[in-house]
Amino acid sequence: MLIRCPFCGEREAAEFRFRITRPEVAGTAAERLYLRRADPQRSIEHWQHAEGCRMWLEVTRDLTSGAVLAVSAELTRAAG
Amino acid sequence: MTRRFSALQLLLDAARGGSASLEALWPRRSPSGPYDVIIVGGGGHGLATAYYLAREFKLRRIAVLERTLVGYGNVGRNTTIVRSNYLLPQNQRFYEDSLKRWGTLARELNFNIMYSRRGVLDLAVSDEDLVALRRRGNAMRLSGIDAQLLDRAAVARFVPQLDVDAPRQFPIVGGLLQRRGGTVRHDAVAWGYARAAAALGVDVIERCEVLGLARRAGRIAGVESDRGFIAGERVALAVAGRTASLAARLGLALPLETHLLQAGVTEPVKPMLDTVLIYMFPGAGEVYVSQSDRGGLVFGGMLDGHPSMTQSGAVSRVRDVSRALTALLPQTADLALLRHWAGMNDMTMDGSPIIDKLGSEELFLNGGWCYGGFKAIPASGRAFAELIARGEAPELIRPFRLSRFLTGHVLDEKGAGPFPARQ
Repeated sequence: MLIRCPFCGEREAAEFRFRITRPEVAGTAAERLYLRRADPQRSIEHWQHAEGCRMWLEVTRDLTSGAVLAVSAELTRAAG
Repeated sequence: MTRRFSALQLLLDAARGGSASLEALWPRRSPSGPYDVIIVGGGGHGLATAYYLAREFKLRRIAVLERTLVGYGNVGRNTTIVRSNYLLPQNQRFYEDSLKRWGTLARELNFNIMYSRRGVLDLAVSDEDLVALRRRGNAMRLSGIDAQLLDRAAVARFVPQLDVDAPRQFPIVGGLLQRRGGTVRHDAVAWGYARAAAALGVDVIERCEVLGLARRAGRIAGVESDRGFIAGERVALAVAGRTASLAARLGLALPLETHLLQAGVTEPVKPMLDTVLIYMFPGAGEVYVSQSDRGGLVFGGMLDGHPSMTQSGAVSRVRDVSRALTALLPQTADLALLRHWAGMNDMTMDGSPIIDKLGSEELFLNGGWCYGGFKAIPASGRAFAELIARGEAPELIRPFRLSRFLTGHVLDEKGAGPFPARQ
């Protein structure tokens, strides 16, 4: 599978490493650290192009199909 | 409908021939109600919970709602390993309870679950590994759990088909053995508990998917399913690998996410492996392998590395796990891979399960089993049943309360931090 890195272009998925799922939870530091409420069809995650430019990317994926919906170089804050 | 299985029964069936002995292990039920308890999830944990609720706590009206068919989920997809070789005392106590229950379960359920005490051997591939294994072994022994540290020669004697002298990228230098660990036939566990629960009056309802919770006047009134509203006073969730997806549907935020791991079975071969081997293959995770009674090598790896609910996995990961197996046992390189599959794992933020009542409602959660839920089935079922029946968690599962994440009482076996993929 290919993923389009904003810096490197289309590269093999194996070059990228999942780091964390962006928490969609507001609240205390502990709640934001531990709790997850990902929408299975629109999971927003932070990946790193570990075997390429090593930049951190925000990747939106559909967990039920595995499809990559969007890749962005901008790491956004979760909606409160 | 449920006959007692016995040697005499086998002889009588053989004499009568064929179809006389073919009858359903449990009756097909449709949702009715109202129920005292609705258990969402007809896997090992859900069925065991129903059994103990009926048997020990004498609740009368219990329903188990299974989205697909009994045995189709993780209870039929795991690699059948049972063990209690954990580091933390809270986990040790719990999995020891389960291991002891495995020992008497076949008799209790009148069903052959094929518990084989063939040992579980964690192999060390470096001196650092040996230090870690020695530490865990000592922790086990301090809790009265059997553990033996083997050097290279002892590993070679214990596993004759494992050539410790074969050149490997990650050589074997020793191992930690739990002799009382081993394997249990996973399908038999599902069928045995379903049959026993049904015999006690539990409605085992297949092909019934829960779509949401039903509340009336602010209280739990049952569930909404694809077969309509089902009334129940208490709702207990036991859906293991589907916990995150069900939680999303119910609007719950939980400290877990779903990750896959790859597993497979080779073609059957003559008996060659009479223990369970676990081998670290740094860079590609690990592989654990045992040989089933039908002769196939049943093996699995570690997590794929990113969240997924697809129940299939990347081919590259299947290759990684297979490569680890052939690195460990080179003689398997030419074997055909008969089946491979991915299991959905509910990975928690500390790698340990969650069994708790959710807030003040009559709503209960049993999940977060990560990749280790199979061995927990008897202890989990019994303790979850007590929680549901009494409204208060027995001592055995209090460490697994949901609030532990917010109060700093995480059970981090691996000390890996709040990263589900690293547990």
